[in-house]
Amino acid sequence: MKIMKKNYYHIICAICVICGFSSCADFLEIKPQSEIILEDFWNEKADVDNVVAGCYSLLQDDGVRRRMMIWGEARSENVMANGVAINGDVDLHNILKENITAMNKYTTWNGFYDVINRCNTVLKYAPEVAAKDPAYTTGDLNATIAEVTALRSLCYFYLIRAFRDVPFSREAFTDDNQTMDLPATPFGTVLDYLIEDLEAVQDGAVKRYPESENGSSDKDRYQTGRITQDAIHAMLCELYLWKGDYDNCIRYADLVIKSKQDMEEEKEQRRRSSAETKALVKLRLGDYPLVYDNLTSTTFGEAYSEIFATGSSKETVFELSYDKSPSQSGLPANSAVVSLYGGSTRTPLLVGSKYLKEDIEATSQRTVYEDANKKLDARMYTNCDATSDAPRIRKMASSRISINASTSSPKADYNTYADNNNSSSWIFYRLPDIMLMKAEALCEKMRSTNEETTAEEDSIIAAYNKPLLEKAFELANVVNKRSICKKDLTGADTLQFANYASKDLMTKFVKRERQRELMYEGKRWFDLVRYSLRAGNTDEVIEAVGHREDVNKGFVQNFFKKMDAIFWPYNIDEMKVNRNLVPNPSFSSGENSSYEKTN
Amino acid sequence: MRRIKFIIMSMALLFAMTAGAQTITSVHGTLSDDMGPLMGATVCEIDGNGRIINSAITDLNGNFTMKVKNPKDKIRFSYVGLKTQTLPINKTTYNLTLSSATQIKEVVVKSKKRATGNGLPIPEREISSATQTISTKEFEGLGITSIDEALQGRIAGLDIISNSGNLGSGSTMRLRGASSLSSLTDSNPLIVVDGNIREVNLDGFDMAGANDEKFAELLNINPEDIASITVLKDAAATAVYGSQGGNGVIELTTKRGVRGKPKVTYSLKLTGTYQPEGYDLLSGDDYTMMLKEAYFNPRQDDNASDKERIPEINYLDDTDNFTEWRQYRDNTDWRDAVTQWGLRQNHYVTISGGGEKANFRIGAGYDHEKGTMIEQVLNRFSTRVNLDYTVSERIRVSTNFSLTYTKNDQNSDDLLSIALKKMPNLSIYEKDPVTGENTDSYYTVLQLTEAEKAARGGDVFAGDQRNYVNPVASAYLAKKQHRSYDMNPELIINYNLLGLDEDHWQLSWRGSVYMNIANHYNDSFYPQELVSKKWEDKVNLSGASSSKSVSFNTKHTLTLTPAFTNKDHSLMMMGRFELTSGNSSSQSTDGYGLPSSGGVIVSPSAGGLISGMSSGYSQWRSMYYTFSMHYAFKGRYVIDATLRADGTTKFGPDSRWGYFPSVSAKWIISDEPWMQWAKPTLSMLAIRPSWGRVGNQPSQNYLYTSKYGSTTRYIDMAAMKPLNIRLSDLKWQRVTSYNLGLDIHFFDEKLNLTIEGYQSTTTDMLMGGFRIPSNTGFTTVPYHNNGKMRNTGWEFHINTNQLVKAGKFTMDMNVNFGNNRNEILEMDPYILENKNSVYGYANGETLTRVQLHNPFGAIYGFKYLGVYQYNYNTVKNAVEGMTKDEIYAWWREFTAQGKTAPVAVNADGDIVLEGNNVPKRMMYDYRSDDTGHDGSFPGFNGGDAIYADLNNDGQINALDITYLGSSLPKLTGGFGFTFSYGAWRLSTQFTYRVGNKIINKARLSAEAMTGNDNQSQAVNYRWRQEGDVTVIPRAMNGNTNFNTLISDRFVEDGSYLRMSYAQLNYSINKKHLTWIGLNRISFYGSVNNPFVLTKYSGVDPDIAFGGESPAIDWAQTPRSRSFTLGVTVDF
Repeated sequence: MKIMKKNYYHIICAICVICGFSSCADFLEIKPQSEIILEDFWNEKADVDNVVAGCYSLLQDDGVRRRMMIWGEARSENVMANGVAINGDVDLHNILKENITAMNKYTTWNGFYDVINRCNTVLKYAPEVAAKDPAYTTGDLNATIAEVTALRSLCYFYLIRAFRDVPFSREAFTDDNQTMDLPATPFGTVLDYLIEDLEAVQDGAVKRYPESENGSSDKDRYQTGRITQDAIHAMLCELYLWKGDYDNCIRYADLVIKSKQDMEEEKEQRRRSSAETKALVKLRLGDYPLVYDNLTSTTFGEAYSEIFATGSSKETVFELSYDKSPSQSGLPANSAVVSLYGGSTRTPLLVGSKYLKEDIEATSQRTVYEDANKKLDARMYTNCDATSDAPRIRKMASSRISINASTSSPKADYNTYADNNNSSSWIFYRLPDIMLMKAEALCEKMRSTNEETTAEEDSIIAAYNKPLLEKAFELANVVNKRSICKKDLTGADTLQFANYASKDLMTKFVKRERQRELMYEGKRWFDLVRYSLRAGNTDEVIEAVGHREDVNKGFVQNFFKKMDAIFWPYNIDEMKVNRNLVPNPSFSSGENSSYEKTN
Repeated sequence: MRRIKFIIMSMALLFAMTAGAQTITSVHGTLSDDMGPLMGATVCEIDGNGRIINSAITDLNGNFTMKVKNPKDKIRFSYVGLKTQTLPINKTTYNLTLSSATQIKEVVVKSKKRATGNGLPIPEREISSATQTISTKEFEGLGITSIDEALQGRIAGLDIISNSGNLGSGSTMRLRGASSLSSLTDSNPLIVVDGNIREVNLDGFDMAGANDEKFAELLNINPEDIASITVLKDAAATAVYGSQGGNGVIELTTKRGVRGKPKVTYSLKLTGTYQPEGYDLLSGDDYTMMLKEAYFNPRQDDNASDKERIPEINYLDDTDNFTEWRQYRDNTDWRDAVTQWGLRQNHYVTISGGGEKANFRIGAGYDHEKGTMIEQVLNRFSTRVNLDYTVSERIRVSTNFSLTYTKNDQNSDDLLSIALKKMPNLSIYEKDPVTGENTDSYYTVLQLTEAEKAARGGDVFAGDQRNYVNPVASAYLAKKQHRSYDMNPELIINYNLLGLDEDHWQLSWRGSVYMNIANHYNDSFYPQELVSKKWEDKVNLSGASSSKSVSFNTKHTLTLTPAFTNKDHSLMMMGRFELTSGNSSSQSTDGYGLPSSGGVIVSPSAGGLISGMSSGYSQWRSMYYTFSMHYAFKGRYVIDATLRADGTTKFGPDSRWGYFPSVSAKWIISDEPWMQWAKPTLSMLAIRPSWGRVGNQPSQNYLYTSKYGSTTRYIDMAAMKPLNIRLSDLKWQRVTSYNLGLDIHFFDEKLNLTIEGYQSTTTDMLMGGFRIPSNTGFTTVPYHNNGKMRNTGWEFHINTNQLVKAGKFTMDMNVNFGNNRNEILEMDPYILENKNSVYGYANGETLTRVQLHNPFGAIYGFKYLGVYQYNYNTVKNAVEGMTKDEIYAWWREFTAQGKTAPVAVNADGDIVLEGNNVPKRMMYDYRSDDTGHDGSFPGFNGGDAIYADLNNDGQINALDITYLGSSLPKLTGGFGFTFSYGAWRLSTQFTYRVGNKIINKARLSAEAMTGNDNQSQAVNYRWRQEGDVTVIPRAMNGNTNFNTLISDRFVEDGSYLRMSYAQLNYSINKKHLTWIGLNRISFYGSVNNPFVLTKYSGVDPDIAFGGESPAIDWAQTPRSRSFTLGVTVDF
């Protein structure tokens, strides 16, 4: 049996070998090579910084950016479909026709919530990093918290302006066993949360990002391209305006204006402009540090190229900054602008509406531009040029705008961005916006007269209103004066206070100024929503949409009676997986309907 | 006499040995046979294990001398053709006369044919699970390139549909129906070659779309190398594959060398292929006429297609200020221009043979294939070496090596689909503007400038014809090449540790190491000449990518076969450990703006601009333990059990291991003593119940952990993002199945019949891309365990073994059919709702409905009733001023004449009147709530499609959608006959599917007349004016018509009977060949896929259905038809 014994030995060996393999339980633990797993992440400052950068770059994502533009602009009277080109985007066409259903792809919101979740993830893990990495100080941590809280608030603010009530969470979603089908939190509650959050973090925010010596580093774009304390103040200013807390709105507007003025003063100390220039600037802009054109020549409009095309302008508070030559660097171009507003060969989907063009061509009875501005308002050219054969929304589609105002009828000249190279900034807040919000708040603070008030009361009200009116006029007029294409401003060229000296006239003027200054910057529809919420009725929306060519007038009267209609429906796919969402009653799901059912 | 002499001599020697009782260190002697001394005979010393210790060879006179290492060993004398003798070493001189092995009497060797798969070597008669085996002898000489083609219609319950007729594309296979709804788990059966699974990394692939890659493994195996195919159907059979075999298993066994003189075989196959033609296309003249109507109809505008707006279809001349006028006056048959007769050559040489110690088979093949589409060329070189070396009775070493190199020159564009759409009045070659003769450059449609567009008021061809490449130019100028190397080395050691025969306990160890090395290269170049774009818009595109994947597998199996003194019992047990690990990496570079014209410089690194670079890396590991046993009592009561444990990296630590048990039994009733009366008529009657559970794992790794990956930079900051929601509770998908089989064999196995019934239930289904509320920041999680579904079915197959035999004539047949029905038993309502698409009211939109307790693949749509003959206004004007009753009477008379008009009718067929006795017009998805919904469609009119208004609400909307049939066949199967007469053999094979419906989208788009694509000649019968009676609606450009909704007009019966092949074979008798030194020549000719009997109007009713969506014919390249001539020569 010697052979047998030897064989048993073999068997034992074999079993040992087999068990030897299985004993390494680690064998089935493998780690991905092109990704990092949670257990290895969140160790150092760079990890936090990288995810914060990921929040910004997602805001630049085409889908997110497109929605910012479409939600804020497409239903307003500023735009209309551009001929047959709109056939390339049926969903957008339906929006322009006010035929919005829950199946419309622009009712999806996942990009915004993706940013929100990234912010929440940073808020969840950044304190752990602070505990591990000594290089990541408490100051850094507070700055990070302020930065991502602001970005999160910005996204929620977009969502509530579009959808009114939305699911709200400050918790990061990391596991599939978390409760996901959250019910929608009411508009007002979310607004309060956002104010509360931003009030709490504003002090931790970065005030100034360091500047490079020669001003040519990419890091110089941080000051406008990332969240600063100014940006948080600007957001608070707007949030309070929506809430109807006008004192706080004005308070935060002043903080932003003051900060910008300080910054300008510092620059001025280095720059040392001539007294002559200072006087010219003062004449036009007062103390407000807006970007201005070369005031000694007859070429205008370049200020707008500087704000949008060059970017990081001194009046910008917060913007999404795009790489200057994306076609070469491979970084994202502002493709949403190219597709909606046009490129060198790309036909835009949207153009300035017929209503707007008629308004520009009119010489009196204008409803958007001021009659007094004649043809001299630069924004008649920089927004959309009614005289051009190839309509583009010039403000963002052009890399250079110059208006030759040497004659009485100015002529504009543009360089359009190549289709793959648009790098115009997407601006969330710039100084004129803040100024006009302050003006709006001032207007709202005014008291109005009516038949029931006595003459005595009227005079008390007038006395109370006067400083508010003057201040509001000053703010709006500075914005207006900046865009007048005339070298030597005379009194006849500028607007006269006397023409706007009542609460009603001033309010309308401020709103008009706001419309033309911030046209196509994704603000108009949200402004209309704010006006409606404040008034408690949708008259202004009905009037605005009534100007549209492509919408049935009778339908508009009917449809917008309900306040629900000024918001957007939740996407059908969202409602399918989240039963806690109550669909907006003004919109159909787009699904099966019957003639009989609707009768 | 001789024998006696030998015995005496041996005796004498024996005595001589005992005399000298000393240690023997060497032996010598002489070997001879009855002819005289033997030269070259082998003498060797073998030890107790049968291992050869030392050996010598006899010289010219048959003398030998050999040293002896151990006198306890034995000495063996052998010579080819003579009987081997083994003697103890007890003397120094051996003078032997070996007797001829051929002189022995005929002996009957009773050996049981045993299963050859990955499980226990169970005698075939005792197999208790559902399997079906085919020997590839049956396919020899067919014009097939891969095994799946040969299997079609041969295996009951295996539904095979080819994906397309393009070279190198695979098939969709479903064994007993799909086990999952998800497209992320692969539903194709597992392919096993010689017990090995080819692991390629498919991380991140959409498995349903990865068919080509998956089936490369079938394509990489030359059919000439395969000895037999076994299909494992039930869970008891696939249990040894655990989670890998969840969709069934196809085991392939390759041929090995056999003992004997080296044999050289050469075979040559020449195959001519062509494509069946589909519908006839419009000529240039018909096309321009159709387009003109299509532009006129929507707005009734005579100028809609005039020469200012669309000069391309107006046959202009040089006076018309249209520079390209010469190019648009042709009658080009684009399909004819891109198709051709393909030719395939298959060369294959094998050398096989072997001796006592070693067997070998070496095969090498070269295939050269020209496709039926122009400029498609496939070259393939494959080789396979199988060596077996018997070290001793106990130890056998085998090594296998295979290599396949494939070079596939593909078309960059889908030529056929472009050819079917491209405008036929365009010419292929640029015409000389002066003479009108063809020049030697291809014509590419020019793009319009902004100014030209403005002058024309838009560009009607912008979205289609202007983007269609010239398919002929694309074929010749663009490059798209795929090359792959696939290598599979394997080393196997078998070691019998205990007894060597059935009288002793046997224990054997089999260890193997297997590697799979696959390298793929893709190169492409798309030259400027094919597009009319500007240089700035990125032209001269090129791409190069490569990927390599290496996997390593080792298996260790111990098999124990106890020997019982009571021969009624037999038992076998097996334990196996298996370990797999692998990794793959890939990289790709894309460039544009290459300084090239004429395709000389085509590499992306050659001076162009790089537009994208990427790389990837992944790895995978798994571990399996298998235990399996087989017990038989009296050879007629059989029980088998298997347990397998699978460990994978795809799950978190909690559910990393999956356990998959199975049990099966067999009772051979016919072997019972009380059934002996039925023999030999009933040679086998057995029932086989089985139960088993298998599983399925997701195709992705790292699902259980949060991952962070890099994303686009912002300003100058590198950016990262969380990539996923961590799946905290991901589990194995489990399939539990029952099978009941019945084997009935008649007339001494002449006619064998098998019936199987099964039911398999999938639980914890892995649903891919599970939608979650997006307020989480994510829209989907990659997997979610949810739902339960069941497949129930039965199968039937018959094969025969010389069923009819009369003299030199024999006949055999095989018949099989099967049926499978699936049903969804449970599913989360959220998922169900998401699976159900919302109807968007668009032309050609298919509706997917997944409902509980229903099979999937159901087709829903409208009922089509023809075309409205008269306009709405015709009716409205005719009845103006009549009273209600007059109108009713008028309408009854109108309809009695068989006339139709787009007005609403009630359930009784009476016309519906509104307001002031005005007939109500038939509307489409109309709403009175002023939502502005679809205000542009005024309602149906003459020439529009009539859809049945099922609820008589005066409009066609989603409520009129009805069930139109199922994509699942009621029956699938095949049958075949083989006749042979002497050296002649004729075999035929047919396949069929019965009772399935197909949505013919190919026809839909060929008859839509809504765009500028070329259409089928059927549209010449379109409605043109009032009163026309036809089934083809009017031509309407744009989206303001609803004439091509999915309706039963496009839902067709997909039943068919296809002749897969017919082959005639003739072998020349050996005796006529010896004078030229050949052993065999056989000739054969076959036709493959010569005809299909079907009512289906498309090119080929072989349309794959996948998952929950219905079967749709997208006009894929149809399976080609072919003729093969071949010759096989044995040297």
